[in-house]
Amino acid sequence: MPKMSSRLVARPSFEITMSDSRTVFELQDIRRTYQVGSEFVHAIDGLDLQIQDGEFIAVIGTSGSGKSTLMHTLGFMDSPTSGQMSFEGEDVSHIGRAERARLRSTRIGFVFQSFNLLPKLSVLDNVLLPLIYGRQNPTNKKELGLSVLERVGMEHRASHRPSQLSGGERQRVAIARSLVNKPRLILADEPTGNLDTKNRGRIMDLFGSLLDEGITLALVTHDTEVAQYAQRRIRMEDGKIVEDDGR
Amino acid sequence: MNPIVDIYTGASNGLREVWANKVRTLLSMSGIILGVAALVAMVGIVQGMLGNMRASFERSGGVLRLEVYPREAPESQQHIAGISPGMTWRDIVAIEKAIPLADYVTPIVDMSWESFIANGRRERSMLHGVTPDYAGISNRKLDYGRFIADSDIDAKSPVIVVGSYIAGDLFRNIENVVGQQLRVRGQVYTIIGQFEPTASRGFGRSRRGWNYEDRMNYIPATTAMSRYKGDDGVNRIEILASSVEAMPDLMSQINNTLTQTHRGIQDFEIRTQDEQMQELKKLENSFTYSLGGIAGISLIVGGIGIMNVMLASVSERIREIGVRKAIGARGHDIFIQFLAEAVVISILGGLFGLVASVGLLTLAQDLIPQGENISNMPVTAMFYGFLFSSLIGLASGIYPAMRASRLDPIDALRYE
Repeated sequence: MPKMSSRLVARPSFEITMSDSRTVFELQDIRRTYQVGSEFVHAIDGLDLQIQDGEFIAVIGTSGSGKSTLMHTLGFMDSPTSGQMSFEGEDVSHIGRAERARLRSTRIGFVFQSFNLLPKLSVLDNVLLPLIYGRQNPTNKKELGLSVLERVGMEHRASHRPSQLSGGERQRVAIARSLVNKPRLILADEPTGNLDTKNRGRIMDLFGSLLDEGITLALVTHDTEVAQYAQRRIRMEDGKIVEDDGR
Repeated sequence: MNPIVDIYTGASNGLREVWANKVRTLLSMSGIILGVAALVAMVGIVQGMLGNMRASFERSGGVLRLEVYPREAPESQQHIAGISPGMTWRDIVAIEKAIPLADYVTPIVDMSWESFIANGRRERSMLHGVTPDYAGISNRKLDYGRFIADSDIDAKSPVIVVGSYIAGDLFRNIENVVGQQLRVRGQVYTIIGQFEPTASRGFGRSRRGWNYEDRMNYIPATTAMSRYKGDDGVNRIEILASSVEAMPDLMSQINNTLTQTHRGIQDFEIRTQDEQMQELKKLENSFTYSLGGIAGISLIVGGIGIMNVMLASVSERIREIGVRKAIGARGHDIFIQFLAEAVVISILGGLFGLVASVGLLTLAQDLIPQGENISNMPVTAMFYGFLFSSLIGLASGIYPAMRASRLDPIDALRYE
């Protein structure tokens, strides 16, 4: 039965992709509902969104507005309860855990507010971590790692431990880690939330420079200044998009 | 996708984690170390001690030794029992000729207790008539001279090999009594050999042994027959088989041969040391299994220790698991990583345990001086100890690894 329905919903998204190959994400009437006790919480409540190649999107909204759930959905950490979602022209509304993991490891880069580097690994090993799970196993692994570290200006710290770095440096390493798999889309969740003003600017400039390389970028923030760096701003409230200046 | 790459990746991650938490790892593997060390050392010591028992058993011919005793003919043959010549020299000749599986064959012409006289002294001791093969069965060492030879049998020579009791008592001032003469029941014998005393070996050796064996004295069987018995009857036959495998064949061949020489009368019985050997084996098994069982329980306790540490390690690293999943690790990858960690801990523990067991066995060797065989390392026990500890590590890692692999990445990342 579920197979039938997925085939039915796959058709419209396929047609959409055919019409525009530059579409990264296509979301239609996405809902994500959690059950908390006997109550249902609609974290995302009927959301439509298209993300084009090379866009820089900032998602803003108060806490509880559903912006984190949206990021988790876009990052294949979570599946929508209902609605249709396609990624690079493929229907991804009903894919399983393993397929989501594969997409996370090969197509998506994550940057977190608290950096989330593994403290026991060196900077270089942290950066190379996604390659293990991406199953690509390139021959020149080390050079690849060093080149992305160079890209973020951290190659001189390759053998350091994350604890020996400042906050801004850690976030640059985290960005290098998100880049190493050459992802289609980088998702950043409050990437400057733990940084001072100076570092905030440097990180945002770094993100800006990634756009020149054709990477699509979506970040969640409630810092309106940070949101100014983006080309397109989406405001969320109660699980819905209430403002989208890219339209 | 590729299981070998998965396992390699998991194992190297696991090793790194083990290395990063050296103290914790060492503590968690202590149960396995002690378990393996105890298992191997216990089995080694038991095997060593029983090995010594077996060795002394083997020295007296062991399971290879057979004895043929005369007995009453069975009921059904009673009326014709008289046609059997009984146990005689001809039996010996027949066995020697017909049965190559018998390495050594000797009759025992048992003179029992006799008075031995020399230098005006008289001493009671035991006298047996035997053939040269007796030396091969008893395995006793001579201090001086030689044992009875074939030529002595042929010539019915008046020669005697004495035990340390007679040597010490009749010839008090002479260390080497070879060449001396003594009398038994009026017959004069020349001493040709003198046995090494069996007892009091460790303490400065006295020539006068107290062991029963030291009171044994031997003359050629043919001499005993012609001088005392007047016929060629023998009291019993002792035989040493060439190998354990040959025993059943040997026994049936002896039975056939003697049935022939005894004209079909079953007036003899063949006795083996098998029962004694079975007892020894039983003892060995019960020791091995009971001590091995105790050590096995301590290994299981060690496994529970590993599981405990792994569970703690999982909840300590929930966030790390979240990060790994967010950047693309599947549940499967996390499972293998944690399982590999448990296996690495238990394999290292097993190896350390083996090293410790070698130490324990070396120590045991010093503490139990009679345990000459304890130095033999119980390779089988080592193999099973190591295998068992690795399996226990695997088993105790499964549950924690499963918990880690099932964590939801979003919840895991939020975990503080």
